[in-house]
Amino acid sequence: MAGLALELGEVAGIVLRSLMVSGAATLLSASWSIPLALRLVLGGEGRGKRLVMDLLNSLVGIPTVVVGLILYFLLSRSGPLGQLQLLYTPLAITIGQAILITPFIASLSAEALRSVRERLWETLISLGATEGQAAATVVDEASPGLVTSILLGFSRAVGELGVALMLGGNIRGFTRVMTTAIALEVGRGEFELALALGAILVSLSFLTTLTIRALTREIGWRTLG
Amino acid sequence: MPSVARAVPLFMIVIWLLAALSLTGVYLYQASESRVVRVATTTSLYATGLLDLLSQEFQARYPGFEVRFIAVGSGEALRRAAMGDADLVLVHAPSLEKRYLAEGVLSEGEIIAYNYFVLLGPLEDPADVRGVDVLEALRRIYVAGERGEAVFVSRGDNSGTHVRELILWRLTGLDPSGRPWYIEAGAGMAQTLLIAGERQAYTLSDIGTYLKFRERLPNMGVMVEGGELLMNIYSVYLVRVPGARLEPAQAFMEFLTSEEGQSLIGGYGVEEFGRPLFNPAHGDPDGRLRKAWERLSGL
Repeated sequence: MAGLALELGEVAGIVLRSLMVSGAATLLSASWSIPLALRLVLGGEGRGKRLVMDLLNSLVGIPTVVVGLILYFLLSRSGPLGQLQLLYTPLAITIGQAILITPFIASLSAEALRSVRERLWETLISLGATEGQAAATVVDEASPGLVTSILLGFSRAVGELGVALMLGGNIRGFTRVMTTAIALEVGRGEFELALALGAILVSLSFLTTLTIRALTREIGWRTLG
Repeated sequence: MPSVARAVPLFMIVIWLLAALSLTGVYLYQASESRVVRVATTTSLYATGLLDLLSQEFQARYPGFEVRFIAVGSGEALRRAAMGDADLVLVHAPSLEKRYLAEGVLSEGEIIAYNYFVLLGPLEDPADVRGVDVLEALRRIYVAGERGEAVFVSRGDNSGTHVRELILWRLTGLDPSGRPWYIEAGAGMAQTLLIAGERQAYTLSDIGTYLKFRERLPNMGVMVEGGELLMNIYSVYLVRVPGARLEPAQAFMEFLTSEEGQSLIGGYGVEEFGRPLFNPAHGDPDGRLRKAWERLSGL
């Protein structure tokens, strides 16, 4: 209905909220997923490693609504973490998405590191590099792959529906993000609006990717490493 | 992992800083001074846009309050309330409401509005149900379905509409579940309507969602309407579970049942559909709605 059609300001709010919530989720997830990947690939030999890798790989495709439901039970007022009163808040979505994309980022990062490691390790050591120096070089060389894994993690977070719906509740002006808004508009029969929102979502994801790529190429992770 | 320790630090520190920064941002964003009412509501009520209007008016009147709607099916709304994740529920499933009342999750509520469910079907009406009583219509659909001439789409999602559909089937004494012509969509009303439209099937819908989708369902029409069995009664309940915030919930509930709230409900949809989507209860002066609710809840 006329009064219902999303206004520009509201759409902008939803878009910004999506970027903020999922951006924070991606950074949060990277802050533990990448160290995990480093540990798995460069942290010496360990018997459980193959198992952890297999576990991560199989969790990559976990349905988002399952993650949402598990966290719902944890965060519910009657759940073990109910006292935090996090349910139906943007922070709940951020945490949920961070957990959701952890196997994704960790697995892809580990793969990026492993391929570089296999290519360079023996050479570096035989050239007299210490293990620490060799590891630093591997991380440097793998940095584009690490950035890619983080960007893919962001894409998955910003485009997922299950966690945002279960933990956020799609509350207008508070936890309504792109995907939950799209689902709502479909339910309301506003298909055209839903499609337009979908187009915005994809373009934004694309733009974010381009921007981060350009930035990291400009700054160069090498100088940070 | 000494070898890694030297390789990691700088860029990880950047990520950690950014993560901490953005988490703080999200946290500050959600910090709220106002008293929040969490309302678990049936989707059919929310999707019309009525609730956004009501909460806007309410917040304009009571600036210290904030209403947050979580739109799910009636069954899920009640379940979430029982888990302590809502302060107020807006639902339309009398038999479920009765159960949660008995369990002490809900305290005595109020009927705020009603309208009717409609039985929709293809205009050719292969089961010949147009204008007959709803139970007779379902019997005919069953028979036609068994002959392979009709299809029925069920919500299949424990929503208020689904619960009513199951009650109606039970009253006919027939059990359609598992029959090849009985499709359980497991979806919201909108999607169920689209499936029914594609399959040229019969289905039960609330009137509001149907009016919204009518243009997308060119070969479908209302077959059966009216009668107490199709009466769709929306009620509001306070949630009596530890953690539920009573006072702001009460304020919003009072607004919904006030003259102002009721006239907003009664006027909603006129502009777009030429008729109101909901009939306000106005406190149910003659007890008619309460009686209908009692009968429906016992079915």
